[in-house]
Parts: sequence; structure tokens; C-alpha cells
Amino acid sequence: MRLTKTQLILSGAFCASLFAAPADALSDKLVIEAGHIILHDAEDIEDGVIVVENGRIAAIGKADEVELPWDAVVVGGPDYTAAPGFVEALTSRGMDRANENLDVVPFLNVRDSIDPVNFYFEDAKRWGITTINVQQGTNTVVSGNGRIVKPTGVTVEEMTVRPNYGYMIAIDPKSGKSRATQRQALRNAFGDLRRELEDLVGTKRDEADTARREALAQGRDQDDQKSPGRAMTGSGWTVEGLELVDRSEIDEKLRPLLSMVEGRAYTFIYCGAPMDVQPAIDFARDNGLAERATLVLDDSCWKAADAIKASGMSVILDSDLMHVETDPVTEEETETFVPKVFADKGIPFALQSANSSTNSLWFQAAVCVANGMTRDQALAAVTTSPAMIIGLEKEVGKLAPGMAANVLLLSGDPLDITTKVHKAIIDGAVIYDHTQDTRNRHLLEGEAPRGATAAETEEVEEPSKTDDDADDEETGDEPAEGESGDEPGDEPGDEHQEHEEK
Amino acid sequence: MLLPILLSFLISEAPAETAPPVKLVISADAVYSADGNLLEGGTVAIAGGKIAAVVPGGDGGEGALHVAAITPGLIDLSPRIHTGDYSVEEASEVRPGDLAAGSLDLFDKRWERLLESGVTTVMVGPAYENVIGGLSSVIKTGGKKRIEARTIAEGNALIGAFGGQAARGNSPVFGRPTTFFARRPTTRMGTEWAHRKAFYDTLAAMRDEERQFEGWEAMASVIEGERPFFVQAGATQDIRTACYLKEEFGLPSMVLDGAAEATREPEILKRAGAAVVLPPHAAQGRTAVDNAFMPWNTADELLELGVPVALSAHGSASANANLGMQAGYAMRGGLELDEALRAVTLTPAELAGVADRVGTIEVGKDADLVLWSGTPFAATSRVIGVVLDGEVVFSAK
Repeated sequence: MRLTKTQLILSGAFCASLFAAPADALSDKLVIEAGHIILHDAEDIEDGVIVVENGRIAAIGKADEVELPWDAVVVGGPDYTAAPGFVEALTSRGMDRANENLDVVPFLNVRDSIDPVNFYFEDAKRWGITTINVQQGTNTVVSGNGRIVKPTGVTVEEMTVRPNYGYMIAIDPKSGKSRATQRQALRNAFGDLRRELEDLVGTKRDEADTARREALAQGRDQDDQKSPGRAMTGSGWTVEGLELVDRSEIDEKLRPLLSMVEGRAYTFIYCGAPMDVQPAIDFARDNGLAERATLVLDDSCWKAADAIKASGMSVILDSDLMHVETDPVTEEETETFVPKVFADKGIPFALQSANSSTNSLWFQAAVCVANGMTRDQALAAVTTSPAMIIGLEKEVGKLAPGMAANVLLLSGDPLDITTKVHKAIIDGAVIYDHTQDTRNRHLLEGEAPRGATAAETEEVEEPSKTDDDADDEETGDEPAEGESGDEPGDEPGDEHQEHEEK
Repeated sequence: MLLPILLSFLISEAPAETAPPVKLVISADAVYSADGNLLEGGTVAIAGGKIAAVVPGGDGGEGALHVAAITPGLIDLSPRIHTGDYSVEEASEVRPGDLAAGSLDLFDKRWERLLESGVTTVMVGPAYENVIGGLSSVIKTGGKKRIEARTIAEGNALIGAFGGQAARGNSPVFGRPTTFFARRPTTRMGTEWAHRKAFYDTLAAMRDEERQFEGWEAMASVIEGERPFFVQAGATQDIRTACYLKEEFGLPSMVLDGAAEATREPEILKRAGAAVVLPPHAAQGRTAVDNAFMPWNTADELLELGVPVALSAHGSASANANLGMQAGYAMRGGLELDEALRAVTLTPAELAGVADRVGTIEVGKDADLVLWSGTPFAATSRVIGVVLDGEVVFSAK
């Protein structure tokens, strides 16, 4: 069978998009050349190379100082800028539905909701977001279990960077609740856990006591008293004697809460107003979450920055970076650029993209620069800071030996509006190539997508310059001379209707 | 203090007794005058609300205001800040005589936001709910809260609409015959019919006094080329229809507003000689105008065709969608900085017929300036100050 040229191109493009440049993925070595490499903690490198082995950065430096493996695939070139892939600190996009109806659902998992072919993930590649923390939405009390993913792969498992990672907890009321019932629901959730654990321990103690007395009465040694569980840890509160309980005996719906109280789980605590911030901090501290908790803030919450600073917690900011407050009497508007407040106070913060396209992370960082922050501060808020917040600071967010090879090859400076992502590399595999991105070319270059035919514009009929078909029922008159007198080159009137049929 | 003296020397070439004193001096690392000139290191002097001098030398001297860049005040021909439901007369689809400017609420907060985003001049017309909505005016976005004080050109264009918006919300007479709101058109076809009938009636009115109707003079002025016909046409078929209408009635000047799909049939557009105002760039390409698709290189392609292009933000003042960002997005689509600048200053000024007053930084023109923290339209820059008629009306902290 002879394949036509189009079929070959189509199938090639299909493979490329599905299996993300197989040639690069098959080789375990990759050399990325760039005219400019952006580092965070050191001087940027001019004319540099990044050597990737087994998905990690093996070496990075000036082209003439780094030894290149002879069998590596080479990508990039002197025209490109290499930068670390952006890290989305928190999002609910890419999920089938972002919020569960029930209040306290830590036994659910976003794994069952992430849609690998969701447009968000496609857009993430296009705009250089290589690590994404997917959590349930903020309309919850205690959410399902989140997951850190990369925007590539056809199954959730392929996409996964860290499974079963983190929970969203909202201090801000879920829709239909008041702040009082929201907080009561939250207290109940953790109160129930505590009572359940105490009951379990009580039962175990009773059983052990009975067994001890029985053994005493029968005059035999008591059976070996080895605790089946382990003692509860936690900086907030603990239940004494939990080692008596085999952890598998604890209700599986409560076990995730226990992991939070023991400080083993990451939590994201959502504050919808400045008044939520102190309760959120207290809640985190009282239940032992504070160590691994991050506050997720509405843009108005900058007002509580001092309380946050005192708590030592890090924050994820709303995608709306400029907080506008209107005076109720004078209607005067006061603008506060939120990231700068946190930068000035030295509170670690990460930015969220408002949407995956025009307000992607690069844009959010650029807006920070426009509003008086330094370039380093702005770039850190979309790379190293979110990496730190999600506990992956040794994996992603910057370019250094040992880190995952999540590298963007850009056509220019990452904060320049005309810059495009030329190639995106995740774990050493090229997962995005601008030249293969038909949708983006359709958007940016107006190139018709495959299958669509270009509008027929070659043969244009000269329309008539007369207007006698306006003589419908209302105006029965014949058009007078002079109506079409202005135009040169009048055509015969019988052609005039043709343009309406086009 | 040194520079004003120097500048007063410069402007003393003008008759000394009539020249007003220099009131404000601003220097910048770059002065983009939008007429093709870029002054790297330049100073603008303002006197009597007008630009008095533009000279090289950007240090400004002690006490002078110094910024990274200066551009002319931006101009948006389609800000779409209307007074809501009542900005369109519903008695008829064709209301050529209505002047929209009188119904504007100058106390609306959006004018102030627009001004702070760098837009100093806008063209305001009736909403595109009528087939022919009335006359537009060109006004400044700041200054006294009186429409007369802000107007620089009254009734500068006749406003019309093709496509879905003018037909929306109408219902045909056979549905509910008793209702006042039953009226045409209800389709694109009906909209076009109403346009052609209006122009046909105007031709009749022009030769026969008996057949004159309310507002016919405004229609006639468009046929005679005294003012442009400024029409919304977003989708390919609407742009085509508008171009055919222009050719059929020999309208000398037509501006297509929201013409998202203007590059689909370039030959027709070029032959008709219409100018274009583009709608705001949309993340996925689908614009608010009839959901028409606009690739981001549209402005670039149109310039290559030789079609005059102005950009619009449809009144948005937000950081990611204001007029400055629209220029930036057009640059992402391939425009050079000077082309993008022209598309938000000089070109719209020319299309609205006010280029003698605004649109460039030239001696004698209105002192409307935007002061930038960095390169204009870059995502890393912002508007840090706005000068309107020689007064500093906004300065960021």
C-alpha cells in the first residue's frame, strides 16, 4: 500500500503527539544547548549546555567546559534560552469536577478525577508548566487526596510525580455554610477522630485488663504483651496508648486525618478573607498540621500578612495579583499589589496562574516585575518557591546537577511577551515541540488546522454597484440615476445578487 | 531648572507674546512619538495643554520628572462603555440622527480606570444593538465631568452593526403580535436588508424632499464621504457583507469594528478599502464579537495587506487585557513595537478624524502622554503616569 504524503505527515504528527518525540525518549542521554541558561542561585550561563542522563541533569555549564557524552541526542542551539520548567503550586484544573459535595472526604482521591486529555494539560505544556500540584477545589471542609503530576502521559499513573499527596482544608465557608458552621464542621472532623482513637484505646485497655486478670486467676504467665501499633506522634495533640491499637483497625475514613495530625501529610488551608487567616493558623497549630501546611490566600488576605509572618508559614497567592478595595462612601479605589507585600515581609510565597494561557505563570511573574519586584523574586515565585512549598525543592524548580531534567527551551527571555516555548523537556524527554503544535499555530499564526480548508478567496465576484434589489414591498420605486453615480466601473445590474449567495 | 530655560529658549522661536509658559517638563530614556520617530533620551515640554517642544537629551536636569519611556496617550475606538440597556433607542432599528455622547455617565468609575491604563482618548457611540445606532463622538477620558468639555469631535462617525448582535433579542411580529418589542431584524439577512433599505431610502431622500426622514442627513453625509461609516462586523460573512455594502453604495470611508476574521478574505477587504479595528485578543482565539475567531497575527497580516489597523481593549483596564497589553499581544503575533504603538495611537486618531489633535507626540498637539516604567507594552512594564491636556492626571505610587 502506498501512503500518500499527507498520510505520512499525519501519522508522524500523531506519533509525535502521543509518544512525545520517541527518538529523544529512547535515548537516556540528552544534551541541551542554549545561548543563555537561567540559573537562580548563580550567574546565568552564556553559551551553555545541560547534560541529561536518565532523566536527571548530570552536568551544566559553559559549552567548552562540560564534557559531552558522544551518544547523546542534541537539542536546542545558540538562539535559545534555557530555563527551569514552571511549577504550578496549586490548581484544580485538569479535574473532571473540582469539588465533592460531602464535607469531609479525605478518603477520596483526585486520581479518579484527573483527566489526562484535559485541555489544561495541553496548554500547560505550551506555556512551560512542567510540574502541577492538583488538589480538590476550595469549596470543601476537608478535601480528597491530591496528587502532583506532570502534564504528559495518557494515564494518570504516567502523569504522576507524587501520588496521594496533600489535602485541601477550607476555613472559608463552603457554599451554603456560614463561617460558624464551616468551623464547627472542621472541629467536628478532627474531634471525631480524637474520640474514635480514644474509644479504640479504651477498648484495647479493657481487653488487655481482662486478659491480664484472666491470666492471673488461672495462675499462668500473661501472653507476650507486644503492642500491635505504634505510638501516636504529633505536635498538636496525641492520644496516649495508641500503640495498643493496630492501625488497620482504625476506620479508613479517619486514617487520612490521623496522618495530618501526626504531621505526615501536606495540607493546603484556604482562607477566603483576612478574618480566616488567624483561625487557619490556630487550627493548623492546634492539630499539629503547621509544619507541613501552606496557606492558600484570597487576594484580600495580604492584610493579615503580619500574622502569617509570625506563624512562619508559607503561602500560595490568589491569581488576582492586584487587590482593589473600594471605599464604600467615596468610592475611591485603593490598589495593593499583593505579591510585593509578601516579598517585602520575607514570607515565602508562590503564584498561581489565573488560566493556562494569557495569565500563565510567566505572565504572573512579569506582572510582578512591572509592579516593582526584582526579576529574581518574580521568577522564584513560579519556580523554586512553589517547589519548596510542595516539598520538591530537591527535584524541580531550578537547573542544577541531580535535579529532574525539566527544562524549557525558549525563543527569548521567559518574561518577554513575544517569547514562545520552543521545546519543553520533562524528565529528559522532549514532551512539547512548538513546530508540532498545530493548535497553537492556528491561534498565533492563523494557520488552518488539519482537515480544515482555507477560505476560498481566489475568485471574488465583483458585486453590482446598483441597488435595485432594495425595491421590495416597502419601496416599489425604480432607483433613480445618480444613486450609483459615485462609483467607477459599474457592472451590469443582473450580477448584483450573486454576492448574497456566497 | 536648567532645562526649562533651555526649552523656553527653544520655544521662543514662536511669537513670544502668544506663547504660554512651559508648565511641565518630562524626560525619558526613550520618547516614542508614534510617527515613526524614536528619541533615545529625549525631553517633552508642555505649555498651555499642548506639546511645546520635543528635544533630544534625556537627563531632564534637576527636579524634572524622568521616566523610562513616554508614548502618546492611547486611543481606543471601541471602548464599549455604554450606559447599559438604555443607551440604544428601541423605537426603530435605524436611528441615524441620535448622538450617543449625551447619554454617557462620566461619573462611571470605568473612565478613571481607563485613563489610568493609559487610554486618554476614546470614540463613543451607541451600543451595536441597532442596525444603524446613531452618531459617535471622540472624547477624552479625563478632565472636567462635562461632556462638552471632554469632546474633541462631535458626531465624527455613523455607527452601524452587522451580524448577530443587531438581530439579537428581536422577535418577529407573528409570534406575539401585541407586543411593542416585536420588530425586525431577527437574522443576519434581516440586518443586511435593513442596512440596504436605509441607504436606499437615503438616496431617495437626497433627491426628493418628500421622502426625507428623521436623521437622513447623517446617512447622506456618509454617502458623501463627510464622515466614515463605522460598523461592527466580526465574522467572515459579516465583513464580506459590509464590504459589499460599501461598494454597492459607494461609501468612501468605512471602518470595520471587531473585525476578528478580517484576514479570511483579504482580497475583498483590500478591494473595498475598509479599515479595521480589531477586538481584544482571546486566549483561545474566540472573541466576544459573534464568537468570531481571531488569530493573534491578524494585525500583522492586515498591515502586510496595507489595511489600516487599530487595536481595541473594549474598555478593559485590567493588567492582562488593557489596551497596552493588546498591543503587546499583537507583538506576540508578529507586530514590531512601532507598528503596535501606531495601532493604538496614530491609526485610531486618523480613523476617527482627530489626528490633528491627538495620536502623536508632536509640537502643537494635545499634551496627552503615557509614562511607562519600562519598554511600552512589555509584560514587565506598567503605566506609571498619565498626562492629559498637560495635566498629570495619574501617577502610580
